[in-house]
Amino acid sequence: MAVGIVSYFVFFISLVMIFGIVAMGLNLQWGFTGLFNAGIAGFYAVGAYTHAIITTPPLPGFIANQGLPWIVGIVAAMAVTALAAWIIGLATIKLRGDYLAISSFGIATTIQLVTLNWESLTGGSQGMSRIPKPMASMFDTPFSFNLFFMFLLVVIVLAIYWALERIVHSPWGRVLKAIREDEVAAVALGKSAQRFRMQSFIIGSTLMGLAGALYVSYIGFVSPFDFLPIFTFQIWAMVIVGGSGNNKGALLGALVIWAIWAMSGVAVTKIVPASYAAQGAAIQVILIGLMLVLSLLFRPRGLIGEKQVIARTTDD
Amino acid sequence: MYGKLGIAAAAAMALAGLFAPHEAAAQANCPVKIGGILPLTGSMGPVAAKISQSAQLAIEHINAGGGVKGCPVQFILRDDQGQSTVGVDAAKYLVEIERVAAFTGTISSGVSGPIISAVTAPSKVVQVSCCTSASAFTLDGRSGGYFFRTLPTAKTQAYALAAESASRGLKRTVVIYLNNDFGADLLKFYKIGFAKLGGQIVAEVPYNDNQPSYRAEVTKALSEKPESLMLIAFPKDGVTIVREWLSLGGTPMIELSNANRVKDFVDGVGAKFLANASGVDGGQVAGPTVDVFNSLFQARYNVDSKGPGVHSQYDALIMMALAMNIAKEPSGTAIRDSMRLTHVAGGAVVGTGPDEYRKALALIKEGKPIKYVGATGPLEFDANGDVTGPIVVWNVKESGLDVGRTYSIDDMSRLFKQIDG
Repeated sequence: MAVGIVSYFVFFISLVMIFGIVAMGLNLQWGFTGLFNAGIAGFYAVGAYTHAIITTPPLPGFIANQGLPWIVGIVAAMAVTALAAWIIGLATIKLRGDYLAISSFGIATTIQLVTLNWESLTGGSQGMSRIPKPMASMFDTPFSFNLFFMFLLVVIVLAIYWALERIVHSPWGRVLKAIREDEVAAVALGKSAQRFRMQSFIIGSTLMGLAGALYVSYIGFVSPFDFLPIFTFQIWAMVIVGGSGNNKGALLGALVIWAIWAMSGVAVTKIVPASYAAQGAAIQVILIGLMLVLSLLFRPRGLIGEKQVIARTTDD
Repeated sequence: MYGKLGIAAAAAMALAGLFAPHEAAAQANCPVKIGGILPLTGSMGPVAAKISQSAQLAIEHINAGGGVKGCPVQFILRDDQGQSTVGVDAAKYLVEIERVAAFTGTISSGVSGPIISAVTAPSKVVQVSCCTSASAFTLDGRSGGYFFRTLPTAKTQAYALAAESASRGLKRTVVIYLNNDFGADLLKFYKIGFAKLGGQIVAEVPYNDNQPSYRAEVTKALSEKPESLMLIAFPKDGVTIVREWLSLGGTPMIELSNANRVKDFVDGVGAKFLANASGVDGGQVAGPTVDVFNSLFQARYNVDSKGPGVHSQYDALIMMALAMNIAKEPSGTAIRDSMRLTHVAGGAVVGTGPDEYRKALALIKEGKPIKYVGATGPLEFDANGDVTGPIVVWNVKESGLDVGRTYSIDDMSRLFKQIDG
């Protein structure tokens, strides 16, 4: 019994960490740079499918499967997503606010449709299965593998957190904040706003691609169905509720939002009698919306608001 | 500070309380838990609502007829909201925390896929789906044999369509198909079947649903000068396509997929233009077991039992429960190996409803083989966990829809062997 609870929580926390990586990527783009990226699902998909294609062994009907090791897949996913972000950035980085949002959303939808239609590459609507899990042969039970993968994720998340904290508290990070707060002033001081925005956009999107690769190597299956707009919405909710502008907030937001989603389902099965399960499901959706609204009513700046930095200090 | 601590402590306790299992873990093996995952909310909500009613009905009948090994069955139904991550999380919860003996679910292939890869196969728990049609899930070995489904996949319909095209002497055909997993699946197997039976597909033209016109697709299809059209579509767009096809000079020799077997389609095109059109559909074996299910459903819910997945969901749960009674122990592997013992050639026929279920349990107790004939007729899982089903050929007369020949389950099995070898 206890093993079951632990096993479920290992799985739950692993998903939280994967979403947390995406949230930290978005946080860099939105919280620190002010870029409204509504195409999260697209970058997540690019990383996911790149990893799947690189690591899955050749199968009939698939033209590009490589069967290479897991780490090659991870690196390739990040590289390809970075490239995609650079190309997309070139097209969209001059756009502001709403326009960037709509165009990035459109690009994400296009990417999803490509994964759906390019069947020989991606498996189309049937998806790609038997994506190899890293070092799976060393673990004889699914529980021990899941435990290993969770610790692997912890290491990765800590590394990313540390790296992001370093760069946002560096001079580079301060220029980002300046651009976000008052771009005209920053440009007047000689900073190329476009260059910094591109860099932030690419780094953030690369993190999203990395998370996508981690997700498919954990679940073992990928299909275009994993990259619908609801995913973009959930990540945005994580960043806003957690507190945009700081990485702790992004991680906490990932935990809180995913917990709301999962626990509301559990709560409904406990409270609503079995024969009303269908109505209970509708109540679950209401609960989710209610909790999102309440969390923003009580903490409008997010659970962990951004620290106010006064110009005089140099050690924020 | 202590206020916040108090709130945090209370929240943690409430959270822990949520995870207390429904029944004290100490009590032996009762009740037996069966899980369910369906898209109760989201775009498939209306479809899943009726399917969940059918599931609840099955559980009621199981409990009225004796449960599983003397224990009542408790059904825990979770919503997957049509999202893969929510579905996988629900499956993991059901398997790890509720420790369900088996579960049913779900409808969308995009949600069943990750569940099979991340939960069903590694945790070795039987999953029976009423409605997931992606053929690859049972055919590529990923599920370890733990995934079953009680609806015939696209393969059954596609092979029957190919056989019909071949029997009508059609050699050069063009396929216009809906570009989703269902359409792509149907196309894939139609190609295999039709080629094996001597036909040639001169073009394959996909289309996206809900467009006002399909002239471009029809023009492309006609450019290959086919002698017939194979249309894989849902009725609304099907009407648009066929009208444009005929008005641009396309041949009236048309083969249609099952969804178009509705009055709206016939009226939309015009019966007199469909004299040379025919299609196939899953043939529900009309029989006492189907009638019993329909009347029990009607009596319980005051609505008819028509609708996708309703009948196959009922059968999924009944067969699961029967297998759990047959299995020597409650492990996933034992249940998996007993699933095919619910329909043994020569076994005593047991049908739908609580009385038949009770009869089945008595036979199982005596060690006698049973042959379950359910709400979708005689169901038998093949080596992959798929079922086949009878097919009925339909056509259009002046007066409206009509039926032609039927391919029985044996006919279909023979056809499968002929095409697959």
